[in-house]
Amino acid sequence: MANVKKNENPTSPIGASLPRNDVYEKVTGTAVYTDDIQFGGKLLYARVKRSPYPHALVKKVDVSKARALPGVKAVITGADFPNKIGLYLKDKTILATDRVRFIGEGVAAVAAISNEIAMKALELIDVEYEELEPVFDPEFGASKEAPLIHPDLGTYSWPNFIFPEPGTNISNHFKIKKGNVEEAFKECAYVVERRFKVPHIQHVPIEPHIAIAMQDEKGKITLWASSQSPFAQRALIAESLDISPTDLRVIAPFVGGGFGSKAGVTMEAIPVALATKCKGWPVKFVLTREEEFFTNFVRQGLSSIVKAGCDKNGRVLALKNTMYFDGGGSCEYGVNVTRAAGYSSSGPYDIENVQTDSICVYTNHPIGGAYRGFGMSELHTGLDQVMDELAEKAGVDKVEFLKLNGVKGGDILDTGMTMHPNGLVQCIENVAKSLNWNEVKKPSSDRKLRGKGIAIAWKAPAMPPNAGSSAWVECAEDGKVTVGLGGQEIGQGTFTVMAQMAAAALGVKYEDVRIAGPVDTQYSPYEWQTVASRLTWSMGNAIRAAALDARRQILDVVAQAWHEKPEDLDIVNGIVVSYKSENETTLKNIAIYGIAKENNEGWIGGPIIGRGSFMPTYVTNLDPETGQGPRSVVHYTVGCEGLDMEIDKETGAITIIKAAASFDVGHAINPTLVKAQIEGGFVQGLSSAMFEEIRLRKGVMTNPSFMDYRIATTADTDFPLETPYVEVPQDDGPWGARGIGEHPMVPTIAVMGNAIYDATKIRLPGPPYSSEKIYLAMLDEGLVK
Amino acid sequence: MALQHITITVNDLVETVDVPQNMTLLTMLREKLSLTGTKNGCTAGECGACTVLMNGEPVNSCMVLAAECDGATIVTVEGLAKNGKLNKVQEAIIKTGGVQCGFCTPGMLISATALLERNPQPTEKEIRAALVGNLCRCTGYFRIVEAVKEAAKM
Amino acid sequence: MINPHPGLPELEYVKPTSLEEASKFLADHAGESRPFAGGTDCFVRLRDGAWKLNYLVDVKGLDGAKSIAFDPGKGLTFGAAVTMNQIANNPDVNKYYPLLALAANSVASYQLRNRATIIGNICNASPAGDTIGACMAFDGVLNIHGVSGMRQIPLKSFFTGPGKTVLQPGDIVVSITLPVPPVGSYGVYKKLGRNAISDISILGVTVYGYPCKENASGYQFKVVLASVAPVPFESVKAEAVLAEKKLSDAVFAEAAQAAMDSITPIDDVRGSARYRKYMVRNLTHEALTEIWSKLSK
Repeated sequence: MANVKKNENPTSPIGASLPRNDVYEKVTGTAVYTDDIQFGGKLLYARVKRSPYPHALVKKVDVSKARALPGVKAVITGADFPNKIGLYLKDKTILATDRVRFIGEGVAAVAAISNEIAMKALELIDVEYEELEPVFDPEFGASKEAPLIHPDLGTYSWPNFIFPEPGTNISNHFKIKKGNVEEAFKECAYVVERRFKVPHIQHVPIEPHIAIAMQDEKGKITLWASSQSPFAQRALIAESLDISPTDLRVIAPFVGGGFGSKAGVTMEAIPVALATKCKGWPVKFVLTREEEFFTNFVRQGLSSIVKAGCDKNGRVLALKNTMYFDGGGSCEYGVNVTRAAGYSSSGPYDIENVQTDSICVYTNHPIGGAYRGFGMSELHTGLDQVMDELAEKAGVDKVEFLKLNGVKGGDILDTGMTMHPNGLVQCIENVAKSLNWNEVKKPSSDRKLRGKGIAIAWKAPAMPPNAGSSAWVECAEDGKVTVGLGGQEIGQGTFTVMAQMAAAALGVKYEDVRIAGPVDTQYSPYEWQTVASRLTWSMGNAIRAAALDARRQILDVVAQAWHEKPEDLDIVNGIVVSYKSENETTLKNIAIYGIAKENNEGWIGGPIIGRGSFMPTYVTNLDPETGQGPRSVVHYTVGCEGLDMEIDKETGAITIIKAAASFDVGHAINPTLVKAQIEGGFVQGLSSAMFEEIRLRKGVMTNPSFMDYRIATTADTDFPLETPYVEVPQDDGPWGARGIGEHPMVPTIAVMGNAIYDATKIRLPGPPYSSEKIYLAMLDEGLVK
Repeated sequence: MALQHITITVNDLVETVDVPQNMTLLTMLREKLSLTGTKNGCTAGECGACTVLMNGEPVNSCMVLAAECDGATIVTVEGLAKNGKLNKVQEAIIKTGGVQCGFCTPGMLISATALLERNPQPTEKEIRAALVGNLCRCTGYFRIVEAVKEAAKM
Repeated sequence: MINPHPGLPELEYVKPTSLEEASKFLADHAGESRPFAGGTDCFVRLRDGAWKLNYLVDVKGLDGAKSIAFDPGKGLTFGAAVTMNQIANNPDVNKYYPLLALAANSVASYQLRNRATIIGNICNASPAGDTIGACMAFDGVLNIHGVSGMRQIPLKSFFTGPGKTVLQPGDIVVSITLPVPPVGSYGVYKKLGRNAISDISILGVTVYGYPCKENASGYQFKVVLASVAPVPFESVKAEAVLAEKKLSDAVFAEAAQAAMDSITPIDDVRGSARYRKYMVRNLTHEALTEIWSKLSK
């Protein structure tokens, strides 16, 4: 196992690779996920009738025969729930109303006493469609010739940082104009321009989406869901049903993988809608794996044109980035992906002249939602490969090129924001060292070609400027501590890290801290969403504040009881000590019942409960034409990845020899969990580089199963992966920490593309870099016969 | 349609269950016996989240009819720890950090436990081949493979 | 569009106790019943509606279904319920038919190999079947029980199209017999998938050779290709080159080219026709080179 960094204070939970506090349940099979909750015999099963057409008017939906089938308790159609729903741009309804916009879109839904009856009921639903001309390409979709997929776009609502263009298929157009790229290109000694196409992929959480809803006789709804966003789901679903948010309770157990797929609202609204038609009955809806692949959320495809230029020394002077995101039939969430890709479109490169057009286009393809990386992987795929080629053209060593052009603290970014201190250079040097960058090793046999690839990456938490976190910390009679939070444990280790932070800030042992889970919007404090790699930083701040609040209450009352100053007191492993008088008492003694006054004339103190809240206050809007503004994001996590690989000349197959991933995490609260995120993210990135593609042919996903949508298996990660992280503290992060969840997936496709180029001098137009694509390219270039 | 009456031993307990004829072993375990540790990831025999031991051998329980299991002996993840003591692979995977969301974990533990039964000192390649039918999206597999190596040493 | 059943559709499970009972039931319920062993192929097709059946007939309990027996005169006979893992681990298979063990071990995952059966693979006539090539190379003969009793059909004549065989309603493939291989034989199975291992094959190449005085080259080869034709495909043209010419690397290259020229694969979700053709050539060449180093000793 890779070395864990020693922290200064060995007894502090911060920086310690403490074992996860959810792992015992997970290894014994007792951890409760949503489908494990027992509802007894009174449980209904939901299935959805889906559109077989990519683009069509819905003329008629006849559910009368389905409603009459014995065992069917409720049947709903889009017309029953006409309100729009969506996180950013409200452009979708719970079920299709007058129009379907992608194959698989739900048109009607059934709740029945068994899945068999529900499936039979679907067959009894008659839908009359009138096919419309579909759009399958985002560049075409953005043109004047394309049929309109949302003719009423102008009537939708959206926040003031999204810019749809009604009368077109453009759901968002984010622009950057910094400096003057046309003039700058004229000054460049070398220019590279390339087109890239990144296909749609899917998150593939091993636990498919699941949601169970029930409405009681008083009208209050409970939703149990595998969810990254209990509070957002409450808000959005309640709004679309015209009910008050607190009348919709969301309970969110452990999540079996999210990766963005379980953010915002997707299929969860359907059982809620059904439940309102059969009060008192819980309605369970589980997506089949096939449905998971294309009916819910995917990562949008990207067609991009990237042009970059540098001077004779390899200093990048100009970047022009035109990105058409294939957003799918609804872009309610995807519009922000486009925005994020836009404001981060320079990548972690310091470039004076930047022009970006990041365009989110409606197409008749599956819905592009939040996916780990949020536009960064797609962006970096093209950007880092163009930079790679530019370095080669300029005759500059790639590692030196990255160090020369990488963003440093104080640089003015593409949006005009000032970059904070960061460890990008150290990350680059770590990767170069891991891979013996300057050593050109021979292939292991005549049958192989060998290559190395390297790329840098960055990402900021993509969220509204006022996304907030809150927390409470309370002590119990036994001196143990409970932490209330609204962020979800989706595998990243949130519950563990938050317990560590609460323990550190309060002064108790990590083992004595419990997380008040599962998150339940009825009791848990508000959290915007578990996305964006924001929890360690944002929720961490709230938890730290709550624990410090509790600590202050404790020290105040003990100081008062001992006639001492709180500054002379401390809490260590749950014991309150005075460094002055050497008095001691345990938390147990005071956490609930307070302290008796000396002369027994009353009590001071009482139940200790701390509260904390955090919301960034400094993110500003950006100019709609230039993308400039004082502060586009809260902060960036930067990093670098690289790999050393061989290509088999007979088959085109790739074998990885060694890989490295180095990121600046600010401060690793739990080093093992940080490394685990980097390892998992790297492999998910690798999988997207080598295997994954939603194969869309005329709007149909032709590979909606694990048999033909391949992801990385144990056999594909048989190589050493080094993960040395860097710690340049985040000024407003808890103990200096910032997020790492998404970043390890971001540069991996570009790294592989660069390695393939190094080995073959062939630059493929887009992933997945399958053995077939590589072999046929080598054949066409004459490298093999 | 008549229910099938079967007698099946699950985690050392003999159970008699009446099952619909199209019910899979996975659904029977989860819904009839409330053993929800075994998970459903694909219902197609591809992801391995539903792996259990059937007569000592790992199988995808989503691809086995409950009706076929009359007289069979099944071990699920709930049956790996004995009297509260975790087995070697369970302990090792905690140590190496091989659990994140935990959804693939039950299937992994069953496959890994069975591997060490039949091959107590597997090579890395053998470990990876034995677990190739257990998909994980969170970990990248490194720490899971480490856990099996650790368990082999215990 | 695909909207598969979340579990299995309604059906009845039938467990006959004798071959006669089984064949009668299948014949009486032709078109709505099917024999099954591992179910690994069957259940997937039932879920997505590709097959609509009312009855699944379990053959695992029938006479001989679970047996594997080697006879020095007759060869290896194993039953319908024998799993891929059982074949891969069987001492007689590893001693006399190592190619079959190799092919069986390349299928899917350990869990699936505990349920999937070679005979099931054969009956579903998937052009991608990994073990079919080995069985054909060994000149396998199927022992089939039908409404009129037992009969034998050589594997060579069994397949009629993708997913189609000569089986009639009431037929159950009870076992397969692989005759004793010639002395000095050696074979390899080269499989190309998308992942490092365990994928369904983009293509598979079975090459098998043994000394044969009657041939000008002194050897007889079998070259059977998976996933490049509607049925598992024996490349007679490649075999002819290897029978008629004195063996050398150049002849292996010629045979590999003949294999490539003899197929017209299709583009599908797993691979393109063009790639498959070149891979057949490259993998056949690789297989021949590997076998030759053993045969020529």
